Amino acid sequence: METPLLLQAPGIYKRSYNHRGTIIMKLLIVEDNEQLVEDMERFLEESGYVVECAINYEDASEKLWLYSYDLVIVDLGLPDGNGLELIREMKNNEVAAGIMILTARDAVEDKVKGLDLGADDYMTKPFHKEELNARIRSILRRHKFDRSNTLEVEELKVDLLSSQVYVNEIQLDLTRKEYDLILYFMHNPDRVLTKESIAEHLWGDHIDQADNFDFLYNHIKNLRKKITDAGGTNHIQAKYGMGYKFSTQNSR
Amino acid sequence: MKKRHEFKLLSKTTFIYLIFTLVAFLGSGLFLTHEANEFINWELEHKYRRIEYKTRSVIDREGRRTADLEKLPRNIQIMPISQAPPEDAYPTYSDTTIYISRLEETWRARNKTVAIEAGGQFYRLTMTELVEDYLSLRDDIFRTMLPAFILLVVGIVAFNFLMSGYFFRPFNKILDIMRSYKVGQRTNLEKVKTNTLEFNKMQDLFHSMINRIEQDYRHLREYTENMAHEMQTPLAVIRNKTDNLIADESMMKEHGKTVKTIYEETNHLSRLGNTLNLITKIENGEFDNITQIETRPIIEQHVDAIRELAGLKSLTIDTDLTEEHRLEIDPYLLDIVLKNLLRNSVMYGTDNGPIRVTTSEKTLEVSNYGPPMEDRPDKLFQRFYRNNNHQGSLGLGLSLVKKICEVSKLQITYQYEEGQHIFRILRNGEMPA
Repeated sequence: METPLLLQAPGIYKRSYNHRGTIIMKLLIVEDNEQLVEDMERFLEESGYVVECAINYEDASEKLWLYSYDLVIVDLGLPDGNGLELIREMKNNEVAAGIMILTARDAVEDKVKGLDLGADDYMTKPFHKEELNARIRSILRRHKFDRSNTLEVEELKVDLLSSQVYVNEIQLDLTRKEYDLILYFMHNPDRVLTKESIAEHLWGDHIDQADNFDFLYNHIKNLRKKITDAGGTNHIQAKYGMGYKFSTQNSR
Repeated sequence: MKKRHEFKLLSKTTFIYLIFTLVAFLGSGLFLTHEANEFINWELEHKYRRIEYKTRSVIDREGRRTADLEKLPRNIQIMPISQAPPEDAYPTYSDTTIYISRLEETWRARNKTVAIEAGGQFYRLTMTELVEDYLSLRDDIFRTMLPAFILLVVGIVAFNFLMSGYFFRPFNKILDIMRSYKVGQRTNLEKVKTNTLEFNKMQDLFHSMINRIEQDYRHLREYTENMAHEMQTPLAVIRNKTDNLIADESMMKEHGKTVKTIYEETNHLSRLGNTLNLITKIENGEFDNITQIETRPIIEQHVDAIRELAGLKSLTIDTDLTEEHRLEIDPYLLDIVLKNLLRNSVMYGTDNGPIRVTTSEKTLEVSNYGPPMEDRPDKLFQRFYRNNNHQGSLGLGLSLVKKICEVSKLQITYQYEEGQHIFRILRNGEMPA
C-alpha cells in the first residue's frame, strides 16, 4: 500500500529544476500587507524563484510544517503573532531554510533578537527589492542551497568564491566597490536600479542621499570602461536620470 | 519692568507679627502710662487735700501768728490775700524741680495753688509735692518695654532663621524633586513625608499634574511612534509600485519626471520617519546600554567605511587617534554620532585640506575645510536646518548628534577656525585641554 502523501510531506523535499537545468529556489514570504506581498511575489518570481505567501502566523506555521523552503522572509509584525516567535518555532522544528527578517520596526533590540534566534539577515521597510534579491542570493549561497559558485550573464562571469569577474575569460581588475556594483547589477539584470538603491547597497547609510550621486556616476563610469576595455559590451545604461539598467540581450 | 522685591514667607509673617506686637506694646504702654498718671493724680490730690485741711485747721485753731507757722505742714507757701479770689482762679498746678542737696539730685515736683479761707482771712496756699518716684516709675513702663521689644525681635528673627531650615526642609525637598523632574522619565516620583498641610496640598497637586503630563506625553509619544512606524509599510508599497512604473519603459518616457519625484519624495518621507522615530527613542532613553568604549577602533572602522566616499570627492581623511580616549555611551548611539559627523564633513568638506579626526584624552574632534556658514552657528544643531545647497538632506543629522550628546552627558561644540568647521565632543563639565 502506498503511503499517504500527507504523511510524507513534512521534511520531504523535492528539488525542482528549471529549463536551464539550474535548481529553482523556493521562497516563503510571511507578510500581512497584501500589496507588498503581491509586489514581492511578482518581483521574486521574475527573479526566478518559486514563491509562496502566507499572510499570517497561522498560515505560515502550517505551510512551514507541510512544505520545505529554501528561504523564508518573515515580517515581525504579524496580525496574529510575532514573527520572532515564528523564527523560534522554525528553529525548534529544525527547519533548514534561510531566514530573512523584514520589518518596519527599526529597532536594534529586534534586530539583535532576530539574529540571535538564528535569522540570517535583517531588512527594514521600506527596502529596495533589488537589495532584497541580492541579499537572498547571498543567504542561499551561504546555506549552500545554490550549488553554483559562478554567476554568468552573457560574456560576463563572476567567480563568487574568489570574487573575480571575467569578460570572455579575461580577468578584470576591479575595486571592492566595483565588484559589489557589478554583482548587484548581475543579480538584477534588465531592471532599472535606482541610484538610491545602488548607493544604499554600496555604502549603507554612510552616504547622504542628498549628496548628488556623482560618487555613483564615477564608479559606474570606471566599471563600464573596465568591461569595454576587456572587450565586453556596455551593459550598463543610464535610465531617465533615475538610475541604471544592466541590460542583457533579452532587453536589447 | 521693575524688579519687585521678593521676601521669604516666614520673613513676611514675622514682619507683620512684629508690627502687630509693636502696636500692642505701644498700646499697652500708653494705657499703663495713662493709668499711672491717673493714679499719680489721685494720690497727689489726696495728699494735697490733707495738707490743705491740716493748714486750714492749724490756722483756724492758732490764728495768724507767725510763731505757730512751725506747726504748719512743710513744703507749703502761704500768703494772705485781701479778698476772696474769683471762683475759677484756683486751683492751679505747675511743675517744678527741687534740688536735693543731700542726694545731689534734682527731683521733679508738682505745685498746687489753692485759695483757702481760714480764721476769717483768705490765703493763697501753694503746696509742693515731690513726684519723682511716681514719674520715674511711670517712665519705667516705656523704658522696660523697649528692651523687651528688641529682645523679642531678636529672638523671633533668630528663631525663624534657625527654624526655617527645619520647617521648610520638606518644602525644599519637594522643590528639588520638581526641579529635577523630566517629562517622560518613567521612574516614580519620590513622595516627601510631611505633616504640613500646605506642603502636602502642593505635593498632591504636583503629583496629579505630573501624572496628567505623563499621560499626555505618553499619548503623544505613542502617536509619533505609531506614525513613524505604521507609515513605513504604506511607503514600502508606494515605493514598490513606483519601482514597477520605473520598469515600464513607455510609462517612463511619458511620466519619467513625475515618477522620479514620487520616488524621491517617498524615500525622503521614509527616511524622515525613521530618523524622527530614532530621535524619539533617544529622547525616551531607550538606548541605555551605556558602556565605557575605547573609541579608537570604532572611529577607525567608520573612517575606513567613508574614506572611499571622501576619495570620490577628492577629500582625504587624516586621523590622529589616541588609545586614551574613552566615552561612556551606548555603542549604537556612538555609531550614529560618528556616522553623522563624518557624513557631514564629507558632504560639506572642500578640498582645501583634509578632513581631520582627532582624539585626545578628553576630546573627540572632527573638522573639515569649507567656507564659513551664512547663518548663525547655533542654528546648525536645529532640526530641519540645512544648508541651501543640500535641499534633499533631511537636516536631522546634527540635531540627532546633539540629542545623543545630551542624553549621554556629553557636550558638543562647533567652531569655525582658520577656514575649518570644527566639531568637538567633550564630557560634560570638562574643558578642552
